[in-house]
Amino acid sequence: MADSPPVRVVLAKVGLDGHDRGIKVVARALRDAGMQVIYAGLWQTPEAVVRAVAEEDADWLGLSLLSGAHMTLVPRVLQLLRGAGLEHVGVLVGGIIPEGDIPKLREMGVARIFGPGTSLPEIVTFLQERSGAGHA
Amino acid sequence: MPAMLETLLERFRQRDRLALSRLLSTVARGERIEEILTGVGETAKPARVVAFTGSGGVGKSTLVGKSIETIRQRGQSVAVLACDPQSPLSGGALLGDRFRMTARPDDDGVFIRSLAAAGGHGALAEHLPALVHLFEAFGFDVVLIETVGAGQGDTVVREWVDVLVLLLQPETGDDLQWEKAGLLEVADAIVIHKADLSGAERVEAQVLATLSLGTGPVAPVLRVSSRTGAGLAELWQTIASLPLRRGRQKRGRDLLLLAQQTLTARFAAVEAHPELQQLLAAWERGTVTSTQAAAALFRLLRDTDS
Repeated sequence: MADSPPVRVVLAKVGLDGHDRGIKVVARALRDAGMQVIYAGLWQTPEAVVRAVAEEDADWLGLSLLSGAHMTLVPRVLQLLRGAGLEHVGVLVGGIIPEGDIPKLREMGVARIFGPGTSLPEIVTFLQERSGAGHA
Repeated sequence: MPAMLETLLERFRQRDRLALSRLLSTVARGERIEEILTGVGETAKPARVVAFTGSGGVGKSTLVGKSIETIRQRGQSVAVLACDPQSPLSGGALLGDRFRMTARPDDDGVFIRSLAAAGGHGALAEHLPALVHLFEAFGFDVVLIETVGAGQGDTVVREWVDVLVLLLQPETGDDLQWEKAGLLEVADAIVIHKADLSGAERVEAQVLATLSLGTGPVAPVLRVSSRTGAGLAELWQTIASLPLRRGRQKRGRDLLLLAQQTLTARFAAVEAHPELQQLLAAWERGTVTSTQAAAALFRLLRDTDS
């Protein structure tokens, strides 16, 4: 048995874009780093994602958006998480996020935004370091 | 921290879904199982526990997903344990089953939980009975278990569930050759899945022919298509009519579980034992068989106090 409980991460795409290549690559990398990845898939509503986080007892939620709807959907997810008593869950956002929106998302409570060109080790290291010392 | 566990248990008794979720994690890690099982209290009524097994790609997740709808239409609440394999190398897992199981986000009659099944246990997730007990104590009418896939572990799973459903699909004559060796006999119901595809009748005929060679009672065989929905209602009528196996063996099974946990706890104490090291070396050389080595380990554990 592992010394510390495995990190559980829910990965989901909210909204309507169908680009799931990136999130699947990230899922694989996190699995290979010893994490338990719950892949919730495409076209999820904020409500369904928050429900998955609750039922899976996840430590982290990774959202991928390439539709441009992040300033609508991410705040909605954060609000639902708080409403469900899940404010301890760290939220990561990946995909196409314009520079100007990054500080706004961070201010809302997103732990980190990973844009195009992010290396996989960068994501893994971030999660490992933050999971060891508490997060969000 | 005991105080934290006590709070969680109190919240569980108040039907707090987050508390259920957190306790499932604790039990899945093998921690404090006895305290938790005592703390959640007696189950008001036993749930019907149904496991689905079959080769990868046969449609277990999809059928479980469709079954959620059917069970809800029958007016019952349902919890799902979806097991996926854990990587033996990294210990990580990619749990992708709930993707195929959509439930209305506001429906409190459904709870879906993904579980990483440790390697070496066949298709069996550790601490399965305790996890099922949590769902049962929470009040779910039906508990669905999706196994990792057909394997040795499934004959063990059978002891812990009421109904074991084996999924087969058309155009898998080769699979049938090895599956008939064991799984056909232990299944309580056999589903010919993807029955909208051609060849379903032929597989059904093959299964019925194989089953007719046996001496025991013959499991019902049903053709089901998750795509069209054909056969789903019949499947759940059949499952509901089967006797509950767990109730009859509950006492013995619970004891067995405790014995297993005791042995597992003792293993830590003997892991560095020179006798075990010798045994492992002999096993590696092939001078003792796996069965002999396992028996020797059992003797070592039996004589160890923890």
